[in-house]
Amino acid sequence: MAFESEATPDLTTNIAGVLLDNPVMTASGTFGYGREYSQLVDLNRLGAIVVKGLSLAPAKGNPPPRIAETPCGMLNAIGLENVGFDVFVEKKLPYLKTLSTPTWVNIYGKTIEEYSTLARRVDGVEGIAGIELNISCPNVKVGGVAFGVDEEMAFEVVRAVRQQTGRPLMVKLSPNVTDITRIAQSAVDAGADALSLINTITGMAIDIHRRRSKIANITGGLSGPAIKPVALRMVWQVAQMSSVPVVGIGGIATAEDALEFLIAGAAAVQIGTANFVDPGCAVRVVDGIRKYMIDHGIGRLTELIGTLET
Amino acid sequence: MIQERVQVRYNTIECSGYYRMGLTCHSDYRRAKPGQFVMLRVVDGMNPLLRRPFSIHRLIRSSAGAVEGLEILYKVVGTGTERLADCRRGDGLNLLGPLGRPFSLPERPAQVFIAAGGIGVAPMYFLTETLQKKGFDISSCVVFIGGRSKDDLLCMNDFFAIGVKTVNITTDDGTAGEQDVVTGPIERAVKEGRPDVIYACGPLPMLRATARMARRYDIPCQISIETMMGCGIGACLGCAVSAAGGGDKYLHACVDGPVFNAADIDL
Ligand SMILES: Cc1cc2nc3c(=O)[nH]c(=O)nc-3n(C[C@H](O)[C@H](O)[C@H](O)COP(=O)(O)OP(=O)(O)OC[C@H]3O[C@@H](n4cnc5c(N)ncnc54)[C@H](O)[C@@H]3O)c2cc1C
Ligand SMILES: Cc1cc2nc3c(=O)[nH]c(=O)nc-3n(C[C@H](O)[C@H](O)[C@H](O)COP(=O)(O)O)c2cc1C
Ligand code: FES
Repeated sequence: MAFESEATPDLTTNIAGVLLDNPVMTASGTFGYGREYSQLVDLNRLGAIVVKGLSLAPAKGNPPPRIAETPCGMLNAIGLENVGFDVFVEKKLPYLKTLSTPTWVNIYGKTIEEYSTLARRVDGVEGIAGIELNISCPNVKVGGVAFGVDEEMAFEVVRAVRQQTGRPLMVKLSPNVTDITRIAQSAVDAGADALSLINTITGMAIDIHRRRSKIANITGGLSGPAIKPVALRMVWQVAQMSSVPVVGIGGIATAEDALEFLIAGAAAVQIGTANFVDPGCAVRVVDGIRKYMIDHGIGRLTELIGTLET
Repeated sequence: MIQERVQVRYNTIECSGYYRMGLTCHSDYRRAKPGQFVMLRVVDGMNPLLRRPFSIHRLIRSSAGAVEGLEILYKVVGTGTERLADCRRGDGLNLLGPLGRPFSLPERPAQVFIAAGGIGVAPMYFLTETLQKKGFDISSCVVFIGGRSKDDLLCMNDFFAIGVKTVNITTDDGTAGEQDVVTGPIERAVKEGRPDVIYACGPLPMLRATARMARRYDIPCQISIETMMGCGIGACLGCAVSAAGGGDKYLHACVDGPVFNAADIDL
């Protein structure tokens, strides 16, 4: 029997009640609505697809330039441009439903009311496995402070959404805080079924010749391999205290990167910026994790998660 | 759209700071169209991280006509293009393409003006060659090439070689051709005989001037523009372009462009 499990290790992982075939998801905002990659990737081999952040109404996003490259990373201030939830359901979701891979919608709002309304709408739609709640956005009613940087606001928005939906709820945490475990605790207390982290780290890059920011929004979110050590540290901290599964995000580009997050305590990972560099990245990471498990005689992924020796 | 590991067939210096790189590619590139581009990883590692966009300069064909590779023409402007310039024959690179919306070709015989500023000439050779293959009378096509200086003028002889009779040269510093911006001679030529279409690629000020002039004379004008690009396939939304009149949506250079009707965008 040992031989059999070595030959075909079990990569399944349970995130908020959704059973994934493997622990590799694609991160919101880096994989469009899935179809953009259909000619390049066998989408059915992904653990899950998280779509671009959706709002109630379509959003135009920020003026260009929106992105800039930085050492081993990039800054973005897309401004959450998206087609809006209704168009998503009508035009984008039907294709995603043809896949065996579960679709998670990433949602955001500018007020608690917007979040709640959106969550209620998601609740009525077939073909959505779960909700990833982006709480890194500014709360326009509280002077633009991001929901995700304040324990009370984080609690309130997660609770409001929880009251509207029975769908698996994963709360995506912002790293732009002093102690991420406190926000994590608020989210869990308010009813989160899982936590995903990290979103981008606020940063800047300046064109010294023009003395202007390289992106029109002045500040942007840093992503890519440059942020991996920070993300890994935060995932490890949160995984230690969290009573719900943690999904690790930040700079993952190889199976080795993903394995670090799993060992640190992540029950799954998301791949973001690396999709731009190598659209085949996520599938390669799945294969690499499987090979590692075979090489190390690990029959089930769950035997690996959170096994960091300290 | 194909992601593949390809090999450098050659990488030769064209003139100071400009290179011509031949790459092997999938035979499906036979369907590639002028104005389309590729995203090339310039290193295997993570720095620089993002792929770099380059126009398809031309397809490389076997004597039997099969597509065996493609060529890009590039200018060294930073780390990524420096890395490319270091590549040698046989080196492996990762190629994604063909991408984007191409130039749309006239439906019937037409008087075509082609305007290229600096490295903006890159997609124009493929365009001219395609027009010729489709049976357009290339001898009537007028090509305008502008550059900062003599050393920024590329491909003149290539255009002559495929049958273009008139190549008009301008430089900012007067070291070759007329000392003028490229729109100067275009406007004079327009006054002599209005073309059916103007195709343009080059720096933003040149595209702006060309688009404005085309509008004044009511000439259809297609321009190929450059933006920062994260993915090249419509996933990152990093390549936003303002639509004419603003509107409630941005266009995206990698999927709605890089070729646009000049009238559709706000340059
Ligand atoms: C659709 C498209 C087709 C292109 N075709 C060609 C081509 O055929 N030949 C060619 O030489 N160049 C082409 N470019 C521009 C080329 O992609 C950039 O010059 C290149 O990415 C610069 O990389 P780098 O690392 O050398 O420079 P970096 O160090 O990244 O930047 C150096 C300078 O170039 C600017 N730059 C960086 N990336 C871009 C970009 N994507 N577009 C415009 N400016 C940029 C930066 O703002 C900076 O001022 C094209 C761009 C686009 C969008
Ligand atoms: C271009 C871009 C757009 C993004 N858009 C979203 C978004 O809409 N919603 C969201 O929650 N996160 C968004 N993110 C954050 C990513 O999902 C991810 O958390 C972050 O990039 C870190 O992972 P990475 O280093 O693997 O990219 C975006 C990231 C990038 C680079
Ligand atoms: S470059 Fe990513 S959407 Fe256009």
